[in-house]
Amino acid sequence: MSVQGLRTISKARNGFAGFILQCKRLEFNYCDWAGSSGGMNAFLTHDLPKFAKANPQIEMVVSPRPHKHPIIRGVYINGREKVICVRNLHHQQILEQANLLKNSSGLKLKKINKPVASVNESVRGIFSPFHGVKHEV
Amino acid sequence: MLEAASAIQLGIKGTGSSKQPRLPPCRSPHTSAKLSSLHARLSLSPTFPLETLARCLIDPTAEPNPKFNNATLSNLGNNLLGYYTTEHLLAKYPRLPIDVLYAAMHAYISPQTLFQAGREWGVEDAFEPTLEVDAGLLQFKRLKPGEPWGPERFFKTGDESALEPPAPATDDPTSKSTLDSEAEKKEVEGIPLSHATANFVKSVFAGIYLHESPSSAHHFFRQHIISRHLDISKLFNFEQPTRHLSRLCAREGFQPPIARLLSETGRRSRTPVFIVGAYSGEERLGEGYGASLDEARIRAAVSALKGWYLYSPTEKKEAEEEEEEGGREFSSVFVDVGEVIV
Repeated sequence: MSVQGLRTISKARNGFAGFILQCKRLEFNYCDWAGSSGGMNAFLTHDLPKFAKANPQIEMVVSPRPHKHPIIRGVYINGREKVICVRNLHHQQILEQANLLKNSSGLKLKKINKPVASVNESVRGIFSPFHGVKHEV
Repeated sequence: MLEAASAIQLGIKGTGSSKQPRLPPCRSPHTSAKLSSLHARLSLSPTFPLETLARCLIDPTAEPNPKFNNATLSNLGNNLLGYYTTEHLLAKYPRLPIDVLYAAMHAYISPQTLFQAGREWGVEDAFEPTLEVDAGLLQFKRLKPGEPWGPERFFKTGDESALEPPAPATDDPTSKSTLDSEAEKKEVEGIPLSHATANFVKSVFAGIYLHESPSSAHHFFRQHIISRHLDISKLFNFEQPTRHLSRLCAREGFQPPIARLLSETGRRSRTPVFIVGAYSGEERLGEGYGASLDEARIRAAVSALKGWYLYSPTEKKEAEEEEEEGGREFSSVFVDVGEVIV
């Protein structure tokens, strides 16, 4: 065989053609007794059905967490979790926090310095001093 | 449907009591939150039923009845994926050598790639395929640690067969059946997670093909498989590039290739750089750099060969796209004579 093919695996580019939302599960924990869960209990009865209907791609889990502050836990496709404590928050504020978790990619927060990140080679290519018009001194 | 499946599974297992145990609501495809969220995450059409998606998640190792597992679906999905990928690659790069074509197909639709795709879809797996498992989890029997998988499953190594005593030759008609039953006993029960996930991904393609339309399956393929990043120019491994190029030029009736030094620096230094072009007559076929003249010449030949084999017609038409447009007459794609035999 004069030419061989090298075995490799293609790399995913989410959002390039198809898009998969990275947040796969949101867990809402509440307490019936404690006052810090007041907003959460209102959120669960008023806002959550609408929120769940608008985001069918996320699995919603509601479970009690007695004698503890209420939390929202986001579980992501990359295997990471993000947890937000929503004690004493208004139900509207809790909705904002749920949206924050929904829109997150699950990655650790990091500073992005370059405006574009690409796996493709540069169209212009790398500068070569051996090509083009020779520099005259 | 799946409830029927679970009932049958129950019958096979034989729990002893005629009364069915109460299953959790997540067992039914219509009340499983995981399953419906997976359905929505993949943007599947409402014509793709949840029952089929649940069936796609059941591996033959978890449920042997082919009516309720994904064996048939994954077989169809495998054929679809193979067909779509070959068509895409051959329409895009008609001159791709066969081994590189196989490598590109491996990169797009090998079980390892499909396993990655399944992970990126957020498919979770059940630890053990029991009755009360959520319908939205991948159900399969795990391979035991140390169990062989792949070619070792079917072929014994020389040492093992040498150690085993030779089977006594008897005319007993039952001996064959006893051997068969022994072989059945030795058959591995279980499948690696990667292969089970890959079978699920294949079955989803088959489900879209059957419940939606062939064009939706093709669209889904473009969205999730062809959109993956693969640099085909990095898949080539030429054994004798300069000889290969001269054979190619001879076949195509070009003038024999000549390497010409285009530019150089530091010939007598520790770090020289040479730029060499591979020329056929007046035409430059390729160009390469290197720290020695030979290295640069070989790189130039490789670049010329890649320029030939990675030719891509400007107008690419796949049969599926033409079908979608409707009324347009079928025009076949450019088919090359093939690679040079060196």
